[in-house]
Amino acid sequence: MTEAMKSGGEGGVASPFSRVCVIGSGVMGAGIAAQIANAGVPVLLLDRKAEGSNPNALADGAIAKALKADPAAFMDPAAAKLITTGTIEDDLGKVADCDWVVEVIIERLDLKQGLYRRLDEVRRPGTPVSSNTSTIPLARLVEGMPERFARDFLITHFFNPPRYMRLLEIVGGPLTDPAHVARLTAFCDRSLGKTVVKAKDTPGFIANRIGTFWMQVAAGVAVEQGLTVEEVDAVIGRPFGIPKTGVFGLLDLVGIDLMPHIAASMTSLLAEGDRYHAFAGELPLVPKMIADGYTGRKGKGGFYRINREGGGKVKESIDLKTGAYAPSRRASLPPEGRDAAGLLGAQDRLGAYARKVMGETLAYAASLVPEISDDISGIDRAMELGFNWKMGPFALIDQIGAAKFAALLKQEGIAVPALIETAGDRKFYKDIDGVPNELGADGEYRPVPRPEGVLLLSDVRRKGKPVLSSKAGALWDIGDGVACFEITTKMNTFEERVLAILEKSIEHVKENFKALVIYTDATQFSAGANLGLAQFAANMAAFGEIKKLIARGQTVFKSLKYAPFPVVAAPAGLALGGGCEITLHADAIQAHAESYIGLVECGVGLIPGWGGCGEMLLRLAADKRTPKGPMPPVREVFEMIATARVSKSAAEARRMHILRDGDGITMNRDRLLADAKARALALVDGYTPPAKPEFHPAGAGGKLALNMAVDGMLRQGIATPHDVTVAGWLATILTGGDHDMTETLTEEQVLGLEQEAFYALVQTVPTLDRIEHMLETGKPLRN
Amino acid sequence: MNSVVIAGYARSPFQLARKGRFVKTRPDDIAAQVVRGLVERTGITPEEIEDLILGCAFPEAEQGFNLGRIVGLLAGLPISVAGVTVNRFCGSSMQSVHMAAGAIRMGAGEAFICAGVESMTRIPMGGFNPLPNPALYKARPGAYMDMGITAENVARRYEISRAEQDAFALRSQIRTRDAVAAGHLEEEIVPIRTTDGVVSADGCPRPETTIEGLAGLKPAFDATEGTVTAGTSSPLTDGAAAVLVCSEAYADRKGLQKMARVRSIAVSGCDPETMGLGPIAASRKALERAGLTIGDIGVVELNEAFAAQAIACVKDLGVRDETLNIDGGAIALGHPLGATGARIVGKAAQLLCREGVSHALATQCIGGGQGIATVLERI
Repeated sequence: MTEAMKSGGEGGVASPFSRVCVIGSGVMGAGIAAQIANAGVPVLLLDRKAEGSNPNALADGAIAKALKADPAAFMDPAAAKLITTGTIEDDLGKVADCDWVVEVIIERLDLKQGLYRRLDEVRRPGTPVSSNTSTIPLARLVEGMPERFARDFLITHFFNPPRYMRLLEIVGGPLTDPAHVARLTAFCDRSLGKTVVKAKDTPGFIANRIGTFWMQVAAGVAVEQGLTVEEVDAVIGRPFGIPKTGVFGLLDLVGIDLMPHIAASMTSLLAEGDRYHAFAGELPLVPKMIADGYTGRKGKGGFYRINREGGGKVKESIDLKTGAYAPSRRASLPPEGRDAAGLLGAQDRLGAYARKVMGETLAYAASLVPEISDDISGIDRAMELGFNWKMGPFALIDQIGAAKFAALLKQEGIAVPALIETAGDRKFYKDIDGVPNELGADGEYRPVPRPEGVLLLSDVRRKGKPVLSSKAGALWDIGDGVACFEITTKMNTFEERVLAILEKSIEHVKENFKALVIYTDATQFSAGANLGLAQFAANMAAFGEIKKLIARGQTVFKSLKYAPFPVVAAPAGLALGGGCEITLHADAIQAHAESYIGLVECGVGLIPGWGGCGEMLLRLAADKRTPKGPMPPVREVFEMIATARVSKSAAEARRMHILRDGDGITMNRDRLLADAKARALALVDGYTPPAKPEFHPAGAGGKLALNMAVDGMLRQGIATPHDVTVAGWLATILTGGDHDMTETLTEEQVLGLEQEAFYALVQTVPTLDRIEHMLETGKPLRN
Repeated sequence: MNSVVIAGYARSPFQLARKGRFVKTRPDDIAAQVVRGLVERTGITPEEIEDLILGCAFPEAEQGFNLGRIVGLLAGLPISVAGVTVNRFCGSSMQSVHMAAGAIRMGAGEAFICAGVESMTRIPMGGFNPLPNPALYKARPGAYMDMGITAENVARRYEISRAEQDAFALRSQIRTRDAVAAGHLEEEIVPIRTTDGVVSADGCPRPETTIEGLAGLKPAFDATEGTVTAGTSSPLTDGAAAVLVCSEAYADRKGLQKMARVRSIAVSGCDPETMGLGPIAASRKALERAGLTIGDIGVVELNEAFAAQAIACVKDLGVRDETLNIDGGAIALGHPLGATGARIVGKAAQLLCREGVSHALATQCIGGGQGIATVLERI
């Protein structure tokens, strides 16, 4: 069964594709193949025939490399088995069994068209063929091709790495069958988890058109105005909601050797009057950097490098004038320059630079409606998801104020685009009757286009007030009798206030709703307990309070588990510690594919105290694949918790038994809430709360076996002395304390063991040292 | 009195646990193919086999259900042939030879298949349900001590340096490499059918090993004071081995190839915390029972659980280098716990013929603090 099929709910429609062919196994081709396999869909991956004994060596090698990629290309290594390899020379005929062909070969028109002609002979009539080209216009690709091919042809432009970058630009030509666009959009959205943005057949489509302009302007003006690379990345970074890699850090990532190619391609493709040409000049340093092997992070370094001379590790930056490297220095922004509006108003040279670069960039974006996109939201989504900008150009202009921005452009001598004039002093985005609207080129507002079936908590929030709320959490009515509980603390961490509103919510749902979903729109589901508060309490020796908090959390989580209504947890991003434990207490989990879940308490010298130990034991014991006897579940849970293991995907969380067989995975983040809601509703009919479990302790012998293993690790230098203490308490909980293997333990007894262990550990100095270290550095202390 | 002879030896290739080509093959299936191969190669009439005595160190899960009987049935032995499973940890299948020898001397059977098997991939060392006795652990923690730590203890007690251990490991690799090159290992190997195709060569040896490479490895069991590394330890291994043990009269009657006569046997106990010294007392006992001294022994098969313990035994017993593990040892070849005893008895018998010497000694250490030894003589 594929993940897509397992996921159930609205996202659980069976994949319309039973097999997809990817041709070209470079970084992008292999990454796209991996993501399709991640969705549970078999892939035929073809590349050129290799010399030597294995003709499939190119594609095989690409999969081997993808399996080692960091961050991982596969959500589960087993997904690689869904990919069959072959050669274009020998296996192209197998395309007849594929429902979609993605071409990801080298950016050469003649080679691509040659391949298309051969594909046209072997594909089933009507099979869509798409190119991942980023530089060749669709019109050129289908030039001279039979009309039937042009009808089935489109561009699907993925971003690197395909698993993690949510943007997909889709481009159809005048002849392209709209049904293909719809079908591929649906597949890439639901099965591959992409946000599909409709682009036009213009150079660089949306994201690269604006992105390359932005980087080119930023780099060129930096040289002109004499800024350092650190200054550029500080200015054109965080204040604008742009990743801290800024411009030069990003160029290092992309590869400096690509800069001349991209510039040449854009220069040749863009119309004469395009503003790009004013900034197309090459940085004087670049040819020498490339010649010297400074091609960026893949080479010896780039605008930044790590100098390891003398055994050290010094981050250095290049001098944009001389090309000499010197230790990087943190640039200091003007005090008012923390945000976009402040920085643009700053009267120093950094402010002047920001005005020029962002003025040009945002004006350029505004001048491209409707040339590259009919909707401003398409442009914003592309920049947000293709370049990881927090806000796209129009959302940024809204933040600055369109009128103020127009004034800034005039002051900078930059032509004010018609769209900005049209906006006047209005916002580009505005809620009308709780529905997000955007400004069109005609000056009229219209609803922001949304794929069908997407549900976000922000939609619900727009329309009204929460049913219950506090500073730490809220309960929302998401329709059809389903409530949604969200945590609203920083990083969604747990503290007493969260438990209080959760407890109130459970009581409220009992009376007023049929089911409950635990979900957040935020990037992280929950980073666990609020360690800062725990440390505060410990410093005041308020251990009694901590003890109460542990008991309280256990009570609330168990009341969630045994509530008379079904509960679905819908984690996405981090679900650590308490965030994992609340997930474990739900009747079902509907997880986003990119969920990083784990019981990480041991990292700070604690053990899961809110029922996590017991819930994991039950999961392992219930799995028929677990070997028989008292120890196998205990050992697996022990290893997972003692090493604070966190899943690198929802698929891995399933392997770790956090997700059970019936639990679902949603590929598209924007569909998670809808899927979770559907899952909750599916559980409503005839719902009965779970029966109280019995635990079968492994006893003193089992505990000794675990302790002996940890002692060995201490000697091997894998474990630290405090690890031994923490693991000792964990072993006590998991093997049932002093109880014999012939006895059975109640859930309350296991919770009691958790309480006792947590209470003992939180009073030890090494645990407090670990907590302090984690709070200060964000990293675990190995003491 | 009935003399006991070794009349055949066969084994599977040895493959690295968790990484090798037996990962997806059940241990009973490997053992059964080796038993089948031994029967075919020796030409013994299967109906005349009294018992299949099978050694296994962790006889549970796929190695459970009285594996000796299961393997006999899988191998297609007549149902009249009995089957028993023996556990003396690493000495299990040498123990099976000893049991056969005893039975033959008692007139309780004429022909026995003495085999051993271990899948260290599919059944973890320690088993799935380790439940050690807390009271014993308190009184004598060594009873459950990690084998690597016992090797460290031996290295300390006998002042065996890291360099000596590395040199010994390299010797094992070189001897194995040369034996492979000379084709000395082919004849004993029964190709094994697996889901991954037929496997007919050993997977553990690292012929590319260098002394520099060994010297660069980190201690595997004791990070601060340790000298024992992965390179100077036998690897976790999957594999099976078997020897045919019968009365000399039977072999003569049936025209079986007599490789060696079993001259004496012994087992002994020692401190669990230095279990690697087990071969010393056991070998002394066996030699004394045979009326021999180590100087009379031209072939020594001393199992290399760890270089440290092997060196200690070599020094203490006075084993001459030219007699020691001539075709290489477990550091290179691998050590599938239950199978090793049958392998080294078979190998010692084979070498007696090849080297043309009069006596051979096969001996090994055993977790928990024991030794086992067998003295063979040329016929």
